[in-house]
Amino acid sequence: MSLDISFIGILIGSIMASSVPLILAASGELITERSGVLNLGVEGMMIIGAISGFALMVITDNLFIAIVGSMLSGVIISLIFGFLTQSLLTNHVATGLALTIFGIGLSAMLGKNFVGIPGKEFPILFSSLKESIPFFGPILFGHSIVLYFAFALPFLTNYFLKKTKLGLIVRAVGDSPVSASNQGINVILVRYCCILYGGAMCGLAGAYLSLIYTPQWIENMTAGRGWIALALVVFATWSPIKVLIGALIFGGITILQLHMQAIGFRIPVQFLSALPYLMTIIVLVVISRDSRKIKLNTPTSLGRIFYKEK
Amino acid sequence: MATDLRISNISKIYPGCIANDNVSLQFKSGKIYALLGENGAGKSTLVKILSGVISPDNGEVFLNEKNLKLSSPLDAKKNKIGMVFQHFNLFETLSVFENLSIDATEDNKSLRVRINEILKKYNFSIDLDVPVLNLSAGQKQKVEIIRCLLRSPKVLIMDEPTSVLTEQETEELFISLKKFCDEGILIIYITHKLKEVLSLCDEVAVMRKGKVVSVSQTQNERVETLANKMVGQKLAKIKKKINISKNKDEIFKVKHLNFYSDDPFETNLVNLNFSVKKGECLGIAGISGNGQNELFQILSGEIITPDTSIIFRNKEIAKLNPKQRREYLMAFSPEDRISQAAVPELKIYENVALNNFKSSNFFEKGLVNEKKIKDHSKKILSDFSVNTDNVELKSQFLSGGNLQKLILGRELITAPELLICYNPTWGLDVGAINYIHETLIKINDQEKSTILISTDTEELLKLSDRIAVIYKGKLSKIMPSEEVTPEKLGVLMGGGSID
Repeated sequence: MSLDISFIGILIGSIMASSVPLILAASGELITERSGVLNLGVEGMMIIGAISGFALMVITDNLFIAIVGSMLSGVIISLIFGFLTQSLLTNHVATGLALTIFGIGLSAMLGKNFVGIPGKEFPILFSSLKESIPFFGPILFGHSIVLYFAFALPFLTNYFLKKTKLGLIVRAVGDSPVSASNQGINVILVRYCCILYGGAMCGLAGAYLSLIYTPQWIENMTAGRGWIALALVVFATWSPIKVLIGALIFGGITILQLHMQAIGFRIPVQFLSALPYLMTIIVLVVISRDSRKIKLNTPTSLGRIFYKEK
Repeated sequence: MATDLRISNISKIYPGCIANDNVSLQFKSGKIYALLGENGAGKSTLVKILSGVISPDNGEVFLNEKNLKLSSPLDAKKNKIGMVFQHFNLFETLSVFENLSIDATEDNKSLRVRINEILKKYNFSIDLDVPVLNLSAGQKQKVEIIRCLLRSPKVLIMDEPTSVLTEQETEELFISLKKFCDEGILIIYITHKLKEVLSLCDEVAVMRKGKVVSVSQTQNERVETLANKMVGQKLAKIKKKINISKNKDEIFKVKHLNFYSDDPFETNLVNLNFSVKKGECLGIAGISGNGQNELFQILSGEIITPDTSIIFRNKEIAKLNPKQRREYLMAFSPEDRISQAAVPELKIYENVALNNFKSSNFFEKGLVNEKKIKDHSKKILSDFSVNTDNVELKSQFLSGGNLQKLILGRELITAPELLICYNPTWGLDVGAINYIHETLIKINDQEKSTILISTDTEELLKLSDRIAVIYKGKLSKIMPSEEVTPEKLGVLMGGGSID
């Protein structure tokens, strides 16, 4: 294997592709958490998105319906979470965990008949440019539309939170729901919207796995990516751009260590497999040292139940 | 245009408590109205109803004879009723400007222009682009006021606005409020501080147990008459018999107390030396932020400073931690009842158990001896007339006064030789203040000593045998309290000299 420049380009392209589900799920969860809701059901919502996307593709043979359907399924399952935590005031942590367990179980049941069915090729954009330009070609071109969306999302999220009125309201609700309510903001509604948005993004992240990244259905195919996304949000101290950086590092080291294992480096395999987790945490901790900034970005009311005085 | 606000037969009943019982009041613009009452008298409920946060069970609110339907805070805003809550309704992690823009209807540019106009007009100096958590309490309150002013309110309600302010900030607030009043804004001022009513307000309505018990012109009232109306009985006047005897033993002696900190929010202490005699109360006066926090923490052992000598009952204790100091019969009552003295989420008896001694046997072989702690707690509750006998109650449901009684009780039931307290009556109502003052005097009568760090000069003059003033981390000379007048204290507290 030669480390020529075009190989590195292909490598970077594959790293980008592998970090897409993390970016999508983490960006969605980031908005949810910024409104003060801690939804630990990311893994469950992702896997539901994965199976419903794949199933819809098989049934309708239409990728657009499959993608939209996976997002809708994420919305529906997160609606359960929203109803429980916002309307029935259940504990966020317990409800989120239950959602994950429920999602994994339900997806396995629904997916029984879809195991072994081959997926459909997902259209990629600018495929001619990918081949013709060395190095930059495989990095910039020849990806699915979802990847481009995923890479734009952290910047859009950042803009939304920092520059728009709605973003300001989301941050305000996450900071102090009581104050927000006293200012006449409908806290419950804002939180519902953020939860549903998070659900949609997790559904899309799941569909990316089952329709684009590895086009097939395998039981439990999210393989803990939902938990990584959750951890990314916290270690990135609720900053969308840092989520992107973290997801790339994680994806990058995952791919690199696979290559290192293949080449046969004399490092224990277990250590190499643990490397992505370790490095992501170390890098994110190092770039998020500014305690003042952490304080400003952390949603103060995260995970706390809010109820309106009557 | 004149504003006329009328509240008619408002009632609000919570399970087990009538917060507002048929309250009717009338307010007209051009005057500042006081709504006076002890904690729990129903003032806050009434203003929450006026601001639309909660809805009354019964009754109506009229603004200029128009019946208002206040079912949400938005309704109050639309009807130009502005409200500054006791606990600020700000978003700490957002910038000042973001806080103000959140419910604005105009674009950011013109909003900034309008905010700057207000800042200039009322002489407020606040940086609009720093996060609110960096502001002082006084500045935060100004942000709240600006938020109201942006909506050009007809009515401005202030709920206990001075409880978190320094004296300087209080004065500034009063000047602003008078200005607003002259501009035709109707001001309703909620408080339990009698002097503020007399110095600021034109009319005063007194509430007690959910009812309005009197409405009068403040010029016809005095502190005593208002206090009696508020409490509903005649308050005994407390005056301490000063006992200075030169021969008594020094029980507590501090030498070379120095403290340096890099934190700009902490005050350095410079060479403090003082001693306390048996049965004596040493008062330490000063405007808050002059080193009282640091001094209290060093005396209690939360901060250990090198080279300081603290002799207590002939033993050197400067290196001991708070628990060890307690074992030597010292007791502490910090300023912040909620976060320093007690854990609000814990039950009363659990809070009592926090202050455990080897001798108290609250814990046996690592297990909690619940019965013993509960019996002990019940004794505290009855001995210190806390308004409940339920030791299972969470401490957060106690009023400030009752919580302070519980804390003092917890500290005093072990019969300490020295009690160090910091603003023990901060934010309490007259009844509770009286009780705590009586308790503190009783300690001295029993030949036990106290150090009273307080920002309330009246309290210091009432309770201390000797008084010193702390200013910018330095202690003035210690004076016998009969030689001290409020004026002298005022000069020293402001950094002046009286010699």
